[in-house]
Amino acid sequence: MNKFKLILMATAVALPLAEQAMAETKIEGLHVWTSASEVKALKVITDKLATMGFEWQDSAVGGANGANAQQALRTRVAAGNPPAIMQFLGFEGLGWAKEGALRSLNDLYAKNGWKADLPPVMLQFLEQDANFFSTPINMHRQNWVWANKAVFDKAGISIPASWDELIASGEKLKAIGVTPIAMSDESWQIEELFESILIDVNGPDFYKKAAIDLDETALSSPEMIKTFEILGKLRGMHDAGFTGRDWSAATNMVANGQAAMQVMGDWAKGEFLAKGMKPGVDFLCFPTPTATPNYKFVFDTFGGFTIDNADIIKGQDAVAEAIMDPEVQKNFNLIKGSIPARLDVSMDDFDDCAKRSFSDRVEAIKNNAIYGSLTDGFAVEPRFSGVFQDVVGKFFVTDMSAEDAVQALVDGINNAR
Amino acid sequence: MSGSIPFSDRIANWLPRLVLAPSLLVVLVVVYLFICWTGWISLSSSMIVPKYDFVGLSQYVRLWSTPRWHTAVFNLVIFSVLFLGITTLLGLLMAILLDQKIRCEGALRAIFLYPMALSFIVTGTAWKWILNPALGVQKVVNDLGWTSFVFDWIARPSFAIYCVVIAAVWQSTGFAMALFLAGLRGIDNSVIKAAQIEGASLPLIYRQIVIPMLRPAFLSVIVLLSYIAIKSFDLILALTNTGPGSATEMPSTFMYSATFRRDQMGVGAASAMMMLMTVVAIIVPYLYSELKETGDGH
Repeated sequence: MNKFKLILMATAVALPLAEQAMAETKIEGLHVWTSASEVKALKVITDKLATMGFEWQDSAVGGANGANAQQALRTRVAAGNPPAIMQFLGFEGLGWAKEGALRSLNDLYAKNGWKADLPPVMLQFLEQDANFFSTPINMHRQNWVWANKAVFDKAGISIPASWDELIASGEKLKAIGVTPIAMSDESWQIEELFESILIDVNGPDFYKKAAIDLDETALSSPEMIKTFEILGKLRGMHDAGFTGRDWSAATNMVANGQAAMQVMGDWAKGEFLAKGMKPGVDFLCFPTPTATPNYKFVFDTFGGFTIDNADIIKGQDAVAEAIMDPEVQKNFNLIKGSIPARLDVSMDDFDDCAKRSFSDRVEAIKNNAIYGSLTDGFAVEPRFSGVFQDVVGKFFVTDMSAEDAVQALVDGINNAR
Repeated sequence: MSGSIPFSDRIANWLPRLVLAPSLLVVLVVVYLFICWTGWISLSSSMIVPKYDFVGLSQYVRLWSTPRWHTAVFNLVIFSVLFLGITTLLGLLMAILLDQKIRCEGALRAIFLYPMALSFIVTGTAWKWILNPALGVQKVVNDLGWTSFVFDWIARPSFAIYCVVIAAVWQSTGFAMALFLAGLRGIDNSVIKAAQIEGASLPLIYRQIVIPMLRPAFLSVIVLLSYIAIKSFDLILALTNTGPGSATEMPSTFMYSATFRRDQMGVGAASAMMMLMTVVAIIVPYLYSELKETGDGH
């Protein structure tokens, strides 16, 4: 009996202790990932965090292309209750960093030498006033064409080498009753086409001048008119039911052979893979056709708001370290469809599209041909990219002339300056 | 002296004011204080977060130089006029017809009122499919054999706003009908009987006697529908998402995208002030004239 009592007492003492050791520090993250593959990919990061002794408190706000999450964030910052960790795309993080709301991660960057591990072109979105404020987990490529191989074979067309060739293939596809381009009348989906034409036809240097520097001469140049003219030739390449179609529904049209091609970032790849289709066999992925190879990126980063709480600060550091862990980057991106932000991750386990993306990135960095995507907020601040979206969207669905579109673009950009 | 009034009477005098005070305070703060705050922001250079400087009316200049804002204002006018006009007329007509002591009135009333029970998101999504030329009405008619039939308003920028009108009318007509029906039931039957004895025809009775007596119902319908029109936000987002090519932009969706998508909080605040001024300019004189004539209000 005595022994039993002793055990009981020991457990009574030990239990709370054990519980204390198990109790993890909670770290809250606000993000926009709500689809099945996104949630699964995020779990790679949060599992890593758990091994480091931190429990991820999930605050996912999906919908409205990220606007809902931005609204939630603003409300919480205004109420003095910012989340410990926030997902940022493009200029979103820079805006908050300028307001001085984000914690500097300079110590971690210096200690781990992360700066050298990342593509130099990324750094401008991670750093404000010599302070690193976020860490990137991935890199998506925007300028992809996703195509149905069986449809290509049936129509007797091959991978186009130029936009003119792509448009010519479109006529052949229409002849066999296939929608050449799966898309929607949503302005941003039209803009995905526009920005690809912009850089493919005029070269990366022009893209930088027009879409990043917003140089007025470039914006009003004949090159810009030509870009709109080519976009105009694509007006008849979609089906009648394109109103309000979700991008993933458009991807599915390509996957099931109703349509031949879709111009979309590599987040579309998951839709093919989920159907058990294989790259190169059932579907094709190739960069938008150009004589001047280029790479347009979109990536997700996570930063931390300045909160005066030692536990939260430790948690924010842990999140940054987990995100920059090469193994985490590899496993995360295998699920998400993008490639690792880090340059030193082995690509052996990835599919051919991702391998192509990775090797094209290396090449584009060498050639200064890598720039942020306009549509997805990595070229200019939202008030300018919004103008591009308005004009391009309106141009495509009406019979607006290329000259009028260029004029509207120049006026709109100047008005937003 | 108040001392001569019994204590319970004094309580009774103060009670209404005491009970109303909290809600009055809440209204003062969350409505009027924030209206002032928005007005202040609209005069500042605020971008991603509020900034309390002063830049004069430059955000208003920027707002009125934005073509999308012109589209939004134009759409609001088209939408409000058509939506208010059609919904009121149809609602009145349906109420008068239902009031003719017909069979299954209860069931019909429920059917007409049902759309009101749906949220605008549901209405918008359903009509998005119904109006989609590859899925909805056009496809059904084409499949029936009339292959040249075209109904693709939702894909045509100059017609898309009428699609929004159709969906909104469908949703709100039953509601207008219910209000008018309540008004009709409140009219003393003896007035109509007297007119009939005098030999007045039924259309004349409705035109000259019944409809003028429905004035309070008209007031409720018009005020409630105008505010549905101005705040029509969810319907647009679900039905057209302001497309094609911003053709169905509304001031409310413009305000949302400027403030939360494009980091132009100053422009967003300026557009909100313009919406407020529109409401004030239209609704207030109407309310004033309606409430003044009856003397004591409703």
